[in-house]
Amino acid sequence: MGKMPKILVVDDDPDLVESVKMMLENKNYEVITAYDGIEGLQKTKEESPDLIILDVMMPNKDGYSVCAELKADPNYNNIPIILLTAVVSHIPTTTYTQRMGMEIEADDYIDKPVEPSELVKRVDVLLRKE
Amino acid sequence: MLKDANILVIDDEAVIRDGCSRILTKEGCRVKGVENGEAGLDLITNKGESFDILLLDLMMPGISGMEVLDALYSIDQTLIVIVITGYATVESAVEAMKKGAYDFIAKPFTPDQLRIVVRRGVEKRVLQREAENLRKEREKSLKDIAYEKSRISTIINCMVDGVLVTDRDSQIVLHNPAATRLLEIENLPIINKSLCQCVKNEYLVKAVATTLSTERSKYLEISQEITPCEGSARVFLRADTAPVLNEDGEIMGSVTVLHDITQEKELNQMKSDFLTMVSHELRAPISAIQQQLSVIEGGMAGLITEKQGKMLIRAKERTKGLLDLINDLLNVSSIDSGIVVQHKESIVLKEIVERAYQLMEPEAEVRGIKMRLETSGPLPPVNADRENMEEVFTNLISNAIKYNVEGGGVVITLRSEGEFVRTDVTDTGIGIPEKDLPRIFDRFYRVKDSQTRTVIGTGLGLSIAKGIVEAHHGTINIKSEEGKGTTVTVLLPKASE
Ligand SMILES: Nc1ncnc2c1ncn2[C@@H]1O[C@H](COP(=O)(O)OP(=O)(O)OP(=O)(O)O)[C@@H](O)[C@H]1O
Repeated sequence: MGKMPKILVVDDDPDLVESVKMMLENKNYEVITAYDGIEGLQKTKEESPDLIILDVMMPNKDGYSVCAELKADPNYNNIPIILLTAVVSHIPTTTYTQRMGMEIEADDYIDKPVEPSELVKRVDVLLRKE
Repeated sequence: MLKDANILVIDDEAVIRDGCSRILTKEGCRVKGVENGEAGLDLITNKGESFDILLLDLMMPGISGMEVLDALYSIDQTLIVIVITGYATVESAVEAMKKGAYDFIAKPFTPDQLRIVVRRGVEKRVLQREAENLRKEREKSLKDIAYEKSRISTIINCMVDGVLVTDRDSQIVLHNPAATRLLEIENLPIINKSLCQCVKNEYLVKAVATTLSTERSKYLEISQEITPCEGSARVFLRADTAPVLNEDGEIMGSVTVLHDITQEKELNQMKSDFLTMVSHELRAPISAIQQQLSVIEGGMAGLITEKQGKMLIRAKERTKGLLDLINDLLNVSSIDSGIVVQHKESIVLKEIVERAYQLMEPEAEVRGIKMRLETSGPLPPVNADRENMEEVFTNLISNAIKYNVEGGGVVITLRSEGEFVRTDVTDTGIGIPEKDLPRIFDRFYRVKDSQTRTVIGTGLGLSIAKGIVEAHHGTINIKSEEGKGTTVTVLLPKASE
């Protein structure tokens, strides 16, 4: 059996990081963590994760910027990214990104709070695509 | 006809005076007689008596009838004088009539002749009076109009809101100082100039053109937020443009009312910044709690008992309710502050409804509810805010699923109806008791019975939907029968071309 994929979880709220970590570890993924955007970028470069879960609202570089930076870098632009959004639930993410005035190339979006089954489903889909 | 006519007889012959008096009194006239011109003039000029008819002898001692005539006509041109003459003096009668006397009667005369001549005189007098009344009335109504006009222009000129009226060719025909001030128009006067020459904001010019161009716009009022000239973001105006119709319902021009909303916008911005902050502060910890509950409940933090699991599920539902409440509150306050309908554009409602439909489909499936979307005929676009519409229809469809029964159905139909696009969301669910219907659109109002108790909700959805639909000049109605189902009907005005 091969090595389990490594997932980087970046969020400024330690409780959220912790719970997402447990959801993923429960499925035997290897999880590493970071608590702001800059640390997230650093960990990406050090650890080369197979997938990144990024919160949108963070101090020291928000999730959008981190996402944009990684997607612009040929060394990392093939790592799938899931953005954690805290948008009013009914309104689709597209309008949110439109409002922010930029095109975000994240591979998926998940509204907070995260449902374990939903998260695992989306992660599986993105990793299988590899 | 002769009744109540006031008659003065000036004749030196008592026989004539008495005769006239006797004959005419019988007809209901009031008759006075004097024996010479001086006495007659005295009655009229000094004593201020007025008579309808004057019977005047031309040949009298003292001042002559002719002189009396001259004197009387210099005071009152409308007096009706009937000259009494002898046979020999018909020429002088003619002369008197040239001076303005109305008629003459020759002595001796029969009672009938007198009656005829006097009756004609009285008829003339009545006509004269009517003409006079009409003239007075006309004068008065002209005065009224002038007064009304000046009153309206005073009102308009005093208004803080700008008023701008154009004719059918988009030429400015009326405006107040506030309008030129708000729109920052400098080259005054602008009366009779075309709107596009004077107004720098092309959206306003376009709105007026739209209002004037189509028959359909008769029912439409265009409401938009503009800045005085494009690019400037110091001042914000709300401009409401509507057609001015004549009695036959044809478009005669347009009227635009301009309201300065700069301050409102600033306050709104502050309010929404504040709300965004608060909501983030609230949402973040609740999200965290919810996620942690999920982890524990999922057994990812160690085994839990069945009882604990049930409690955790319930706790998760409660936190979910809180999160929904925060979302809804954010929506309500944004609707209250009127910032919602800023992005009105021509949209195809069907696409919006389809999206909402797809969004809710999985939930319907889980609950074993059959959904169907039907459209009939061509559907013109509506003028609306996309996000708002998604909000409305997601909520309606969500309700139709939430308050349904196992194996129930939901049908959504779209069709064109008069000036509106009509959407019906019909379900075969639990329905709403009649006593709850009147309050169903109230905020936080929820039906409380055994069937709805287990359904999570805030009671805000419908009130938000109503707020949004009405802000789009549409209507929303609900029909329901307990145990049978519910239909919510939304009418939205078609976009004008
Ligand atoms: N299709 C329907 N069938 C039966 N009852 C309904 C239907 N739609 C609404 N109701 C009743 O009207 C009430 C108010 O609905 P509303 O959408 O405003 O709030 P809600 O569903 O309680 O909460 P939410 O804001 O989360 O949608 C509901 O609680 C329900 O009792």
